[in-house]
Amino acid sequence: MAYDLQLTNVYKTYDNGTPAVIDFNLDVEKGEFIAFLGPSGCGKSTTLRMISGFETVTSGDLMIRGKRVNDQLPEKRPTSMIFQNYALFPHMNVRQNVLFGLEVKNMPRAEANRKVDQILDKLGLSGIAEMPTARLSGGQRQRIALARSLVVEPDILLLDEPLGALDANLRKSIQNELKLLQRDLGITFVFVTHAQSEALALSDRIVVMNAGRIEQVSPPRELYTRPSSQFVARFIGSNTILPGTVKAREDGNVILETAFGILGGANRAGIDAHDGREMSIILPAEAVDLVPADVPEDEMRANFGSNTIPCTIERLQIVGHIMHMIVSFVDGRKINVEGHVDKYRDRLKAGGRAFVAWKSANATVIDH
Amino acid sequence: MESKVLKPILAVYVGLFILFLYGPFIVLGILSFQQGPEGGPQFPILSWSTYWYQHLFGLTPPSRIAPLPVGEALVRSLTLAFMTMVTATVLGVMAAQAFRKRFRGAGVVFYLIVLGMMVPGVLTGLGTSLLANNVVGIERHWWSTAFLAHVVYTFPFAFLVMLAILNRFDGSVEEASWSLGVSPITTFRKVTFPLIFPGVLSAMLFAFTLSFDEFPRTLFASGRDQTLPLAIYGTFSVEIHPNIFAFGVMTTLFSFALLSVYGILMGLSVRRAKKMAMQEDIA
Repeated sequence: MAYDLQLTNVYKTYDNGTPAVIDFNLDVEKGEFIAFLGPSGCGKSTTLRMISGFETVTSGDLMIRGKRVNDQLPEKRPTSMIFQNYALFPHMNVRQNVLFGLEVKNMPRAEANRKVDQILDKLGLSGIAEMPTARLSGGQRQRIALARSLVVEPDILLLDEPLGALDANLRKSIQNELKLLQRDLGITFVFVTHAQSEALALSDRIVVMNAGRIEQVSPPRELYTRPSSQFVARFIGSNTILPGTVKAREDGNVILETAFGILGGANRAGIDAHDGREMSIILPAEAVDLVPADVPEDEMRANFGSNTIPCTIERLQIVGHIMHMIVSFVDGRKINVEGHVDKYRDRLKAGGRAFVAWKSANATVIDH
Repeated sequence: MESKVLKPILAVYVGLFILFLYGPFIVLGILSFQQGPEGGPQFPILSWSTYWYQHLFGLTPPSRIAPLPVGEALVRSLTLAFMTMVTATVLGVMAAQAFRKRFRGAGVVFYLIVLGMMVPGVLTGLGTSLLANNVVGIERHWWSTAFLAHVVYTFPFAFLVMLAILNRFDGSVEEASWSLGVSPITTFRKVTFPLIFPGVLSAMLFAFTLSFDEFPRTLFASGRDQTLPLAIYGTFSVEIHPNIFAFGVMTTLFSFALLSVYGILMGLSVRRAKKMAMQEDIA
């Protein structure tokens, strides 16, 4: 299998001895949309800058299209970078910005112009081609940066928080354009972000990083439903984490003894869940069912087994046909629950009591 | 209450400051229009005339007052200032560029460079002259030893100006250029340099003006042929006529012309910088 991008045991240690990236391993296929996601300082930007050549690799192998590029200069690599601040050349107009990469390669003028026109047209910039970049909006400037990078036909496009400086509405629309563009061009995108919504919406796979290490590499859906570590569970989505000790195992599920009673979750990672092992149940918000207090106990047991926790409804708000609720456990912990209005109409009220319940198969157990 | 006392004091202070700053020049300016050739370098003005300006350019009938021996010295000084400006600015830009990355011994190198403007000029001049005569054994000239002394003196100014400019320079445009496949040299030429040009202009102005009226270093290091400041000083030891004032006015006008060119070029760059700032506001 030929990969577009391969990082094998890549480490980055700064001159003062601070480790920035620790044992990074990743294989990226051609045309994949990869997101590096993590809090600031987790090493995601450093990794991107190693791929681009702006930072040196301390040890390990960095391969692009099967060729080791550790020691290749940035301008020799088939990568191109999009910056958060766009980094447009302020002394050039839109067309000159886009033409720049071709111009210095001594491409024949006619061909270069044709390519520039093509990409400007594709990104809807033809109308402003002769304008100075200064007066343009953030969205337009982001597109110019994209055009400038894409016109040199890189194998891999690197994007460093490219939507970070845009307002929320614009971010959504550029996000969609970006995804369409990537599908259309079929080139590999590596995208760095600290916003999980962006990563979840755009990428084929997400690399979650924390403190210089990879925590998990998964498709978005799986990351959401099957976090493999405490960090990911806290960082992605809105999960309720219930620690306990292993008491039993049944049908691929693990039963834990917790502060809230006997609770279960699916053992997706295939952990050796022997009795007494300290583990946690990761309960995604979507897996939670709220059971009104008037439901008979046998019916509840039949549906959810022992996976029920009594709670108090703190707040209740109806938006359209969705009911948003905040409920609290006896330990004071609050979680958000949503459900269809018809299901709960007249059966729940603020200050009332209910049960948070789930099917074991919809929750996940991980090591504590 | 406070401003009632403070304001007049400050006003007087500013008035005195301006008087001392421009007073000598105004007096020289007025005296340069003294009647010639019998009028002397003092008040009262016998009658207003442009005689001394004509005298300066050799347009007056021959008289007992010899023409000011500054023609060649002026050419020498302009040439020297130009050579110094180019060399010091190139070195300044290169050195400041080097300081963008931390390197071993950066602190020592920084102080060694800055020392050039700290050491008293007389010492540098004397040292250069001794080095040339006694150690290396070469003749002193305005274009060799004095040129070296001027570069050593002006280089730190150019360096500090460029350091300040590059300190605020956003390196991501350079990275963007590299990542488009553009070599660092072309990137510097086409991206970095146009953007730091206002700073380069300031560095050039500093180096030129400092070199143009440099006295103590040149006095020792320049050898036989004099530069303009030395030549003017030389005329004082004979007899002073208002032609020297006329010359002073001319050189000052030249400096103003230089400053205007600088101002215009700077204005253009600042307009562009404002656009850049606007651009960042939007972002």
